Amino acid sequence: MTAAVEAAEVGYSVVLIEKEAFLGGRVIRSHKYFPKMCPPSCGFEINVRRIRSNPRITVHTLTTVEEITGSAGDFRVRLKTSPRYVTGNHSLDGSVIEQLSSERPDTFNMEIGTTGAVYYPHDSAWPPLHVVDREALSEADMLTLTEVAPPGSIDMGQTEEEFHLDAGAIIIATGWRPYDAAKLENLAFGQCPNVITNLMMERLAAPGGPTGGTILRPSDGEAPGNVAFVQCAGSRDENHLPYCSGVCCMASLKQARYLREQDEDAKITIFYIDIRTIGRLESFYHDLLEDENITFVKGKVAGISEDDGNNLILEVEDTIAGEKPTPQFDLVVLATGIVPNTADAPVPIELEYDDYGFIDGGTGVEGVHAAGCSRHPCDVSTATKEATAAALKAIQDLNR
Amino acid sequence: MATVETTAPGTPETEEQPQLAQTARVRPMKVDPDLEFIRALRRSGGESLKKCFQCGTCSASCPLSPDLHPFPRKEMAWALWGLKDQLMTDPDVWLCHHCNDCSTNCPRTGRPGDVLAAVREQSVQHYAFPRFLARWVTRPAFIPILLAIPAVLLGLAIRFRDGIGNALGFSPPAGEEIVYSFMPSLPHWLINCFFGFFGFLALVAAVIGIVRFSRGLRGSSVWGPDPQPVKGILSSLGSVVLKILVHDRFTQCETDHSRSISHFFVLFGFLSLALVTFWIITGPVNPLIGSDFIYPFSFWSPWKLLANVGGLAVLAGCLLMIWERLYFGHLAGTSSYFDWLLVWSIFLVVVTGFATEVLHYLRMVPHRQVIYFIHLVFVFSLLIYLPYSKLSHLLYRTTAMVMAERFGREAGEGAKP
Repeated sequence: MTAAVEAAEVGYSVVLIEKEAFLGGRVIRSHKYFPKMCPPSCGFEINVRRIRSNPRITVHTLTTVEEITGSAGDFRVRLKTSPRYVTGNHSLDGSVIEQLSSERPDTFNMEIGTTGAVYYPHDSAWPPLHVVDREALSEADMLTLTEVAPPGSIDMGQTEEEFHLDAGAIIIATGWRPYDAAKLENLAFGQCPNVITNLMMERLAAPGGPTGGTILRPSDGEAPGNVAFVQCAGSRDENHLPYCSGVCCMASLKQARYLREQDEDAKITIFYIDIRTIGRLESFYHDLLEDENITFVKGKVAGISEDDGNNLILEVEDTIAGEKPTPQFDLVVLATGIVPNTADAPVPIELEYDDYGFIDGGTGVEGVHAAGCSRHPCDVSTATKEATAAALKAIQDLNR
Repeated sequence: MATVETTAPGTPETEEQPQLAQTARVRPMKVDPDLEFIRALRRSGGESLKKCFQCGTCSASCPLSPDLHPFPRKEMAWALWGLKDQLMTDPDVWLCHHCNDCSTNCPRTGRPGDVLAAVREQSVQHYAFPRFLARWVTRPAFIPILLAIPAVLLGLAIRFRDGIGNALGFSPPAGEEIVYSFMPSLPHWLINCFFGFFGFLALVAAVIGIVRFSRGLRGSSVWGPDPQPVKGILSSLGSVVLKILVHDRFTQCETDHSRSISHFFVLFGFLSLALVTFWIITGPVNPLIGSDFIYPFSFWSPWKLLANVGGLAVLAGCLLMIWERLYFGHLAGTSSYFDWLLVWSIFLVVVTGFATEVLHYLRMVPHRQVIYFIHLVFVFSLLIYLPYSKLSHLLYRTTAMVMAERFGREAGEGAKP
């Protein structure tokens, strides 16, 4: 988004391609940014307004890039748009959706709970349109929908569309996904309901999330009084992600503050190998060291099991004390790391990737630039700065 | 921050860093790295040592590790820093049964299990008497001399049989006595005296090593400041022997479960062979046997059956060990020369033993005698090099386990999901 508005605002035409039904990706799913602890929605809404008011930006949601041919100054891009089935000509209201029973996993909320098969992506969604999940929609619901929806609002006859466009330069900002916590067998994600990931925690804390912004543990909906953060869950681990994602320490510290703000008696323990809060962020960590309710234990968690009450027991060595305690918690948050989306879905043009799927350094193709987590694990502010830099490089290409 | 971790006892904890000061129980120590020791560890199977970043996954995932001062994370730190003295006096190095649960879970492929195996090899060299023999056992170049010693000694015994017999009061071999032995020139009394004498020397060497080792163990930091025994030595020994026999420690491993099976076969095979050997040696004087003692046993005699079953058990266990080490090295661990020497020695002892027996039944007397001589060389090597080879684990590990039992150093109750 940033790259698009930066380039468009200096006079270039930009086409923004988004795979999801709405803009905002991972950022709009966060509750708050570190270190300022402000919600991402304000910056997001400013960017949306810049896009809306700028005629040079065209947005294609539900669209993927199928093929890129040509070279710098003269790329030809083949795109494919999946049907939304919602035309936007007439608005859909709640009374229509209430009459449907089909459900789908709530992908916006990291699959905590479900939404209806006809859903509004999130409160500040752009474009501000419902989406029909055709696969999740039962036949009966489809009939109901076509009967009760205002005429012209729904078009179930929409099909996948392919189209081409020409571009002088391409910016890759394909972003990231969390490392699949189900692969961390010893950490019992998916087996113990109260073991959640850091991204699930963001949704639990967010006002627009499944719990309305109150952090509750999944097994019984109780507010957790005693929470553990497991750092490097799959990161810096030759069996999983060998690299450090660089942001998970700050994310956990930030989430510890969510919990402390929610409940002044909440006890938090952070299990870590090293706390990696670089530069100015170090002071955020130092502030939490002052908090008597937050304990830092140096030691990587090797296993998690649960008791009859779904409380979690950790297998860990406190390496500074030289002891193996068996601490118990109401909720455990796994600090999972960043995997580039290009790791398993590379851009359809031959680019240079590192061993993990990041576009490290240059892309190897003139006229193609990468920004943010497609290049390396990074935080939001770094990603937006790189987006601006990528926009400048793309502009340079167009003026050669 | 780092300075806080080395706060000297009695230094007031500063107001600014209450959290860290609270957990910092590590006292300052002078690190005087033994670089040659680090190199030696890396040569003998611990080459992954330097990958360790001290996360503690290993200690947390080890089913045998106690809750207080758990291993092997602290051993990895000591090894990284070249703190040889700490490791040499550490009982935990020997409480480890090398099941490699730590190595498979290690996020850095630091393979702590293999590093501890390398430490044990160094430990044997450190405590063994005389030390030069322990060094020979770790170097392939010394194989010829290691084998030449028993061959020459046995040859001398045969050459001077009559002289030795006269000196010891044994009458020169009469016709009927030859039947007792597989080799007329090596009558039973000579084998018994020969093995008895050198076995005694090995025993003395073993006792010296173990006494040195036990003294070292007492100085270990894992016992805490004022260790009090919770059990007597004999009752500790009793429970340890029971644990060894039922393979209580081995069976807690998750990564390499077949190790407990192969070891079980080899151990019980050897125990039955030892029992038969004891029976034969004491035959003429053992009141339980009396005048019924007839040697060689017939094939269907219970003793011969026990010996054959025991031999087969050793062979099966040994083949399983070889197979594991060759094809499942990532589970079984890195195999150093020290490991292979023992495995192949045992293999050669059983194979030459069975070959002798088969040749005996085939009445191929000259061939049998040659193979039997080779068999005796291997058996003799196993016996006299016991205090120096990996077989010495039966002394060192048992000692460490008895000590741990005596001072209540139990495996932790840590959660195993």
